[in-house]
Amino acid sequence: MTLHRSLEATLGVAFFSLSLIASPASAAPDAAAGKAKSQVCSACHGEAGIAVVPGVPHLAAQPPLSVFYQLVQFREQRRLGGGMEALVATLSDQDMRDIGAHYASLPPPSAGQALAEKIAVGAQISRQSFCQSCHGENLQGQKHVPRIAGQSADYLTVQLKNLRSGARADMDGTMGSAARALSDADIDALVAFASAKP
Amino acid sequence: MDFRQQLIMRSCALALGIAGLGAALAQQAAPAIPATWSQGRTAEQESLNLVPNPPGLTAMALADIQTSRLKVPAGFKIELWAYGMPNARSMAQSPAGTIFVGTRFPGNVYAVVDKGDRREVKVIAKGMHRPNGVAFKNGSLYVAELSRIIRYDNIEANLDNPPAPVVVFDALPKDEPHGWKFMRLSPDGNYLYFQIGTPANITVQPVTHAAIMRLNLTTNILETVAQGVRNSVGMDFHPVTKELWFTNNGRDWVNDELPHDTLNHVSAKRMNFGYPFCHQGDLLDPTFGKGRSCDEFDKPDMKLGPHVAALGMRFYTGKQFPAEYKNNIFIAEHGSWNRSKKTGYQVVRVVLDAKGKPAKLEPFVTGWLNGEDYSGRPADVHVMPDGSMLVSDDEAGAIFRVSYDKK
Repeated sequence: MTLHRSLEATLGVAFFSLSLIASPASAAPDAAAGKAKSQVCSACHGEAGIAVVPGVPHLAAQPPLSVFYQLVQFREQRRLGGGMEALVATLSDQDMRDIGAHYASLPPPSAGQALAEKIAVGAQISRQSFCQSCHGENLQGQKHVPRIAGQSADYLTVQLKNLRSGARADMDGTMGSAARALSDADIDALVAFASAKP
Repeated sequence: MDFRQQLIMRSCALALGIAGLGAALAQQAAPAIPATWSQGRTAEQESLNLVPNPPGLTAMALADIQTSRLKVPAGFKIELWAYGMPNARSMAQSPAGTIFVGTRFPGNVYAVVDKGDRREVKVIAKGMHRPNGVAFKNGSLYVAELSRIIRYDNIEANLDNPPAPVVVFDALPKDEPHGWKFMRLSPDGNYLYFQIGTPANITVQPVTHAAIMRLNLTTNILETVAQGVRNSVGMDFHPVTKELWFTNNGRDWVNDELPHDTLNHVSAKRMNFGYPFCHQGDLLDPTFGKGRSCDEFDKPDMKLGPHVAALGMRFYTGKQFPAEYKNNIFIAEHGSWNRSKKTGYQVVRVVLDAKGKPAKLEPFVTGWLNGEDYSGRPADVHVMPDGSMLVSDDEAGAIFRVSYDKK
């Protein structure tokens, strides 16, 4: 919160101007262009969108709009973490759409490992919390909602805890209210279920 | 289930979990502690796979904005007025003519300056937390963020270098669901009116929530104006009676046709419009309505349609439109997500009868919805000094202008 406040103070006094030059119609998202633009990303998120650094999310097979939305939020400093806000500061909307298309085109991460017992509990909590309603029947993501199947367990755990505490503000309160009902043990089980989902 | 009961159930679940892993693990999920947003949905509705629309986060390029698809009644014209403003929503105008625009995402506030043949868009604030509400008084721009109200003094002389904001009031609830504010200055200039929405879809809310509030700008005292209002994202004062009229968004998940969003007005102190017990004045809540009666509550003036997401509203106080439009109400319908067939995505006109009661509801601007696809989502309307009307669209990040040419 303190970080948010100080950012607001810094940004509040700055001035930003938008170009009013007539812009051409936005081009369709281009996965090939996105691949070229994602060279920097692959240092952590991996060449194939499978993270090579612990705690960093896999981006392979994410819905294109999901990656795009998170990149915009990082650029606008509404989401902070992993230095992403600095890394994406100069990307245009088109860059972000292209990068989203690139990662969406990659094969999904292989399912992680977890205890079968834990996975079973996580599956129940997932039903009870209606995770599938937005993240999809197989947690594959849809529209702007991210794929969480096969996602890094470390990453999912940190995000759920940040959403629960409010350290990460979600778009409309849906994830905050979903996460607030979860204990640490619930999160542990839920993460086991999602990360081990093929 | 109240909070204490939830705590008890939570403790039980924990105790079970500790008691023995095998059997207890299977039981752990049994005491349902549903996330707040999912309360009220039936088992059948789960399979509908309805998910809120992705909000407009970026502005459409000029060539992508489909102005030519928009339709207005004969004699009217609609044109693109300003663009390049991601998530442009609530509008307020200064006496000098500048339009200030609030947003929900990612957190900008814009100033639009009319240069005659073109509009200049300036981003005057960035990185704010849901700065949806805007109002203008005595040279100052007031902005309602999620949990606080701030003020930019002498803003128009400093659009290119805005001053640091002054915090006016920062003790509002921090709940994200329905936490963004619509804000309107009272006709006497003494109060800022805004809502504190309910923190879930359907729940017995804290007494602080599901209410319309007003902040006295002299004393800084916050008062409750009306209760039982689930989430009002549009308000205006009747030009003659000066009473507050407002739109209210109905709950999700009853069914495709129920409940309606409503148009209401405040005619007395301590009014209660029924949430969470009674919706649209005559529909007891399937869960929370048990043992209650809609007769306990104040009634809406008009039903607007199920799940249309009635947002910004204004009385038509201009002189450009034909005489029968005088003091009509225009409402921006953001459009449904919680319905198997989309509805809304238009600006509607409500005609009041001689007694001041809403008598007729009809579409005014349409064309954003094509089948189940939408090309824009109207969020607010604003009547200009020349009598034309602006419509903001937070999907396109643009503002359209509707005018009438009497021939």
